[in-house]
Amino acid sequence: MIGAVLVYSNRGELIVSKLYKTTLKRSVADIFRVQVINNQDIRSPILTLGSTTFHSIRSSSKDKLWLVTVSRNNCNSAAIWEFLYKLNDAMSIYGINSELTLMEDFMICHELLNVMLMPDGIPNDTDLASITSKMSSKPKESLQSADLYSNHNNTNNHNNKKILNTGNDAILGGTLPSPTTAIPKLLKRASTISPTSTNKDFIIKKNEIILQLIERINLLVSKDGSILKSYVDGVIECNSRMNGTPTSEITLNDIESTNKNNNNYHRRDTPENIFEMDNSSSDVVLQDFKFHQCVSFEEFDKDRIIQFAPPEGKIELMKYHIKDNLNLPFKITPIVSNTSTGAMDYRIKVKSLFPTKLSAKQVSLKIPVPPGTLDCKISVSNGHCQFVPEESSMIWTFNKYNGLTEDKLSAITVPTNEVTQLTLQQWQRPPLSLNFEILMFSNSGLKISNFNVADRNRKYRVAKWVKYVSQAGSYEIRY
Amino acid sequence: MSDQRVFSRYKASEIRADLQNVELKKAKMNTLRRKAALKKIIANLTLGNYAEMIQLFPDILKFWKVEDDMEVKRICHEYTRTIGSIKPRSTVESMPNIMEDLKSHDEDLQIMALETLVNIPFTKFTEEAFNFIIGLVNRRSTSSRLLKTAIYSLLQLDDWDHERVMSLSNILYEIVEQHLESPSVQIAALKTLYTLHDKNKKLEPFSLSVDIAYNLLDIIPELNEWDTSSLLECLVVTVVPTTHSDAYEMINIALSQLQHVNTSVSLNALKFILYLINYVDEIDVSITERLSNSVVALLEKPSELQFLILRNIILLLLTREKPIIQVDVSYFFIEFNDPIYIKDTKLECLYLLANESTLPRILEELEQYSTDIDIQMSRKAVRAIGNLAVKLGDIAADNCVDTLLHLAEFGVDYVVQEIISVFKNILRKYPNRYRKELILFTKYMDCIQEPESKNAMIWIVSNYSEILHNYAELFDIFIADITDEPPEVQFSILNASVKLFVKSPSPHIENICMTLFKTFTEEVNNPDLRGRAFMYWKLLSMAKERPNLLNEDMLKDIVDGELPVIELNSKLDPVILEELELNIGSITSIYLKPTVQIFRQNKIKSLPQSPVLNANKNSLIITHSKQVVSDPIKRDSNHTSSSSLKDVPSTKGSRISTMGDYDRPAQKVNELKGKRKSSSDSPVKNLTRKPSLLIRKLSLKRNK
Repeated sequence: MIGAVLVYSNRGELIVSKLYKTTLKRSVADIFRVQVINNQDIRSPILTLGSTTFHSIRSSSKDKLWLVTVSRNNCNSAAIWEFLYKLNDAMSIYGINSELTLMEDFMICHELLNVMLMPDGIPNDTDLASITSKMSSKPKESLQSADLYSNHNNTNNHNNKKILNTGNDAILGGTLPSPTTAIPKLLKRASTISPTSTNKDFIIKKNEIILQLIERINLLVSKDGSILKSYVDGVIECNSRMNGTPTSEITLNDIESTNKNNNNYHRRDTPENIFEMDNSSSDVVLQDFKFHQCVSFEEFDKDRIIQFAPPEGKIELMKYHIKDNLNLPFKITPIVSNTSTGAMDYRIKVKSLFPTKLSAKQVSLKIPVPPGTLDCKISVSNGHCQFVPEESSMIWTFNKYNGLTEDKLSAITVPTNEVTQLTLQQWQRPPLSLNFEILMFSNSGLKISNFNVADRNRKYRVAKWVKYVSQAGSYEIRY
Repeated sequence: MSDQRVFSRYKASEIRADLQNVELKKAKMNTLRRKAALKKIIANLTLGNYAEMIQLFPDILKFWKVEDDMEVKRICHEYTRTIGSIKPRSTVESMPNIMEDLKSHDEDLQIMALETLVNIPFTKFTEEAFNFIIGLVNRRSTSSRLLKTAIYSLLQLDDWDHERVMSLSNILYEIVEQHLESPSVQIAALKTLYTLHDKNKKLEPFSLSVDIAYNLLDIIPELNEWDTSSLLECLVVTVVPTTHSDAYEMINIALSQLQHVNTSVSLNALKFILYLINYVDEIDVSITERLSNSVVALLEKPSELQFLILRNIILLLLTREKPIIQVDVSYFFIEFNDPIYIKDTKLECLYLLANESTLPRILEELEQYSTDIDIQMSRKAVRAIGNLAVKLGDIAADNCVDTLLHLAEFGVDYVVQEIISVFKNILRKYPNRYRKELILFTKYMDCIQEPESKNAMIWIVSNYSEILHNYAELFDIFIADITDEPPEVQFSILNASVKLFVKSPSPHIENICMTLFKTFTEEVNNPDLRGRAFMYWKLLSMAKERPNLLNEDMLKDIVDGELPVIELNSKLDPVILEELELNIGSITSIYLKPTVQIFRQNKIKSLPQSPVLNANKNSLIITHSKQVVSDPIKRDSNHTSSSSLKDVPSTKGSRISTMGDYDRPAQKVNELKGKRKSSSDSPVKNLTRKPSLLIRKLSLKRNK
């Protein structure tokens, strides 16, 4: 299927080339360099010349390596791109995703390819935990902390970096069985131990399983306040360190599960109102969901119980997509007008709509200003707002934003002399975009209503943690 | 690690020195150093420094024998493969080493050796590879990983010796049919057979009986993602359902795979289901909803995959008159940071999804894009608005034209030019509807620079001269420097002037015609243009001199005849669509072109005949029952899955919600305090503004 895998540096130096088809010439690498890397205006991630097709992605590391496959016939593009992203992840955990390290340790990449691909370039195994167990060397970074694509998911965020590692840094809260106190640092350290240690002699002292519901809300509001687009992409991450592989079960509060549980099951009493969310638990509609391969589909179809045997380490247990009845965390009302002098006048109101007990972190609002702006005169009721010429926008940041609070901004731009009414009118006004992260709040209202870990051994004890994180995907408001 | 850079060109002698130098001393450091030197060899091969590296072959052989380290072995094998692919004969000497590794008890080493044998295009090597594979396949007792490698290796050997590979096909069939201990080997055999048949035009298409298909589908829970993906892909076209219930049953099995995180599994499941739908009469709405939702969920993948999904959505929207997937238009609204290829594709989706009910929202979006900073993008958006006007009928066209006029006021050159170009098409579709509006465009004459918009404007002026009272003036603008115009503009000026003359002969226009004829026949050096000018000239003079042969009506008919009504045809040929639907997720689905056009070697896939095949795709009925479509026995035990989605009140379509719906009173309102202060990021700026402050600060420090 895949005829060759090539890895180039950002500038186009070939660092790894592995050919699977004997009919391919080695010079095929030059073709891609000339046609795509050195070609400024290529606009597509796929290029077909004659019957040879190049699929490419850029690595998620800052060096932006080119990961490329060459193929000769009509093969499955979905599989190829999916494979390239997995290769990117694998290279990240082995620390060979930068130009320098890859040039030093390119043999690891060769070995990775040996493990991941079968002859004829057929993807065989791309599960990170399984790859690391087959490799001769240990990964440099643990599966959790690595700069994986799954963490990078959101390219829309203007301050992407900040949210990247929240998975590790944030304090874990809201455990189901035990109170939220005393979250030991030990836990953090424990969870970063490499998952390759499937050593049976080694007994894990404390069994624990951590579920994180990470939701990214995407919103687009038009000038008149109507919502053009709103949806939540969520993922339930499971990070477990347990002896043996006990079966775990979770139930969600989406509408179908609730219906089913009322019929067939006696519902367990769960601490309903710890999180104080708006949605009554019955109206969450899962538009779509995808499971990790360790989840039993049959069980889910039958009882809507997500039953799984978690492998050690971090996995994406489930991905879901919700469109209706969302809890929007922020309301932004902009009034933007241009004055007769060619300046822009901004009056923006931000209001948080989540409960007072919670607070949002890393809140920043990016307010684009027209080209030719020298400076901005800003007054804010709270937080800190600065004009950043490089991004031609004002950035209004808050360290902490409390629930049900309203804040205001009033600002006026100082334009250059060349700015006229006409240029202001022609300015295409990129939308305002908001970034935030709220712990223990669910944008969609989805909750885990039941969480069990069962093993044959009755005495099996395990610490179960559930954490909710709501983040901004692209939260944009036009004006 | 090493004292020198690994990735730079070295001479063979330099590396050899590195290698030998090491041998003299005996220390632990040696292995590291030696490895570093060996790595330099591979790096140089990657750099293309073959001529030098080939000289190191004896050294490699020496190490091969002595070293047991896996990494050294890996380097040796990689070296042999690379050199072998360039100069196969030169590597024959390494044969004993490879064979020794092949016979070892280490599985990794065996796999490595086998891969090396397969990768060198030389009879001696392939011979050994065949012998080894045949031995393995017959024994079947080896580990599944080795067996899998052996089976997939056949695909590579197929390029070398097709006959011999095909002689093994019976054994492969047996592996597929029998339920062995390792399901993943079964899939390897299946995939290999499928690919072999697919690659070779002479072979009959590969086919499987329904029973075997069921057996294979049963092992899905034991398979990993890639094997599942391969299985679903191989089953399309190869298994032919002979009864409706078979098709339904298989659809039901595949449905759960739609939920898979891996795009290729999800898309292959989608492909398999869409293929099976051709063999049923009706299908429950819950299934189509699941299909649509799974497609939408894939849109949050990285942009390359998103692009693939979007292209496939276009395909799905085109294949049936009533598309099988229902997707809300808002998913295709363009985001500021989308890469350009995604933006383009989303535009196409929006265009396809537009109908009377969605048009207002789509138009609003397109208007936004038309003022986008990216010129290409804004042009495409304008063009899309124009195309929508032609596609959707007159009421919708009114809205589109309003939007276009509004955009024209925006006054940016390229937008106006694009608008005029598409407006020509709108006028051709609705010749008499927009007479008033077209007069408005005459004020944008200055903006028009590009050939296409010029042509459009020339056509508009000549066609609507009766309502444009100043048409002669307008026309004069175009012929000002006629010799410098690109040929296509020259052609349309010529045509238009003759047309104008025939419609309303006036001395002024006659003058223009004569100058044009003269210039084009004498000054311009384009034979086609000259020919056309002569033709018109002859025509006009004939009409004047011999009216009995060519009267005025006939002349009008020739020069200014009725144009056919313009139709925008976004539909593809049904045969091509059928083939594309069987190739969902593949490269051709991105280009939306028939496979043979891109890959001449490939076979064309088509729906196999079966008594239950639906000849007409559009005859599929989507039922709204609450039951799952599977056979009744299963329905009782297996609870309905995901069919209640539609009972849920959904905001979709009914009303666009606004931010106001989500409002809650704030408990704390922070008011603005103080005046607006100047803010800027660079401290330098602040300092330069107030040098006195800077001095004070500095002096304070010094005092301390």
